[in-house]
Amino acid sequence: MRKKRDKVGDGAESLGGELGKLWALAPVPKAPAWFAARTIARLRREEEGKRCWFALPRWVWIGTGVALLAFGWFRWERQPTIQDSEVFAALNALVEEDRESRWWAGL
Amino acid sequence: MGEDRENEIDDALVRRMAEGDEEALRELIVRHQDRVYGTVARMIGGAGPDVEDLAQQVFLRIWRAAPKYRAEAKFTTWLMTVTRNLVFTFCEGRSKRMEVSDEIVDEETEDPILRKESVQERTPREDLSGKELIRAVEAACARLPMKQRLVVHLREHEDMDFSEIGEILGISELGAKSLMSRARENLKIKLSAFLTEPS
Repeated sequence: MRKKRDKVGDGAESLGGELGKLWALAPVPKAPAWFAARTIARLRREEEGKRCWFALPRWVWIGTGVALLAFGWFRWERQPTIQDSEVFAALNALVEEDRESRWWAGL
Repeated sequence: MGEDRENEIDDALVRRMAEGDEEALRELIVRHQDRVYGTVARMIGGAGPDVEDLAQQVFLRIWRAAPKYRAEAKFTTWLMTVTRNLVFTFCEGRSKRMEVSDEIVDEETEDPILRKESVQERTPREDLSGKELIRAVEAACARLPMKQRLVVHLREHEDMDFSEIGEILGISELGAKSLMSRARENLKIKLSAFLTEPS
C-alpha cells in the first residue's frame, strides 16, 4: 500500500540524486516470518495475565472484595449500641422481678 | 483509487478487531509488519529484541485501541503515529541511560551543534567496500535527530506525502518539509566523502 508521491510538486522535496541512492543502500530490515505468530502469542499471554478464576478479570474480584469489606465495616459501625444505664436498668428490673416473685412465694 | 481500497480493508479489519476477532489482527499484522518493523529498526538502529518488542507493542496498542478507533484519517497515519510515540519514548529513555550520539542537538531546531567525528575522518572513500559504505550510511542515519530521521524514512522508504508525515509528527506540512531539508543538509555533511555531486 505504497502511496505514490507527486513527482512534480512536493516530489522535489526528497533526498534526490546521489544522496538518495546512498540512503537507499542501507537496507531496511523486514519483519521475521514468525513475527505475526509471536505477536498473537504475546497478546494471548498478556490477556491471560489479566484474567484469573472463572475467567473473570482480576479487577472484578478485587472490586467485589473491596465492596464487601466496605459493606461489612459500614454495618459494624451502624450496629445498635446499648448505653450503660440501659444495661443497669435491665439488671435492676431482673432483680426487682426476682425479689417480687420470692415475696409472693413467701420466701 | 487502490489506496482508498487498501484503507477500506484496514478499516474493516480494525472493526473486526474491535469485536475481538484475533484473525483480523493477524491479517493486519501481516499487511503492515514490514512497515512497522522497518520503521522501528531504522529509528532505533538495526534489528534485535528491542525492535521486535516495540513493533509488537505497536500492534498490541492498535488491538486495545480498536474499539475507540474512528476512521477519520488514513489507517496508516494512525499506525505510524502509534509507532512514532513508542519509538520516541523508547529513544528518550535510552538516551537517558546511555549516550547514543556523539552530537549535541539543538532542542528547538534539532540541528547538530557539535560534531566530534565525521564519517569522512574515519573511513576514506577509497578504502570502502560495499559493507563499509552501508555502515557509513547507517551511522549517518543514526546520527540524525529523531524527527529528521523519521521524516527521511517515511518520505524515502514509505513514499508518504508531507501532509501525512506532518500529521504523524504533529506538525504542519511546511514543518515536515523544513525537517526534510535540514536532514538533507545534515546527511550531505555526514556523507560528503561519498558524494561526487557538488553540494
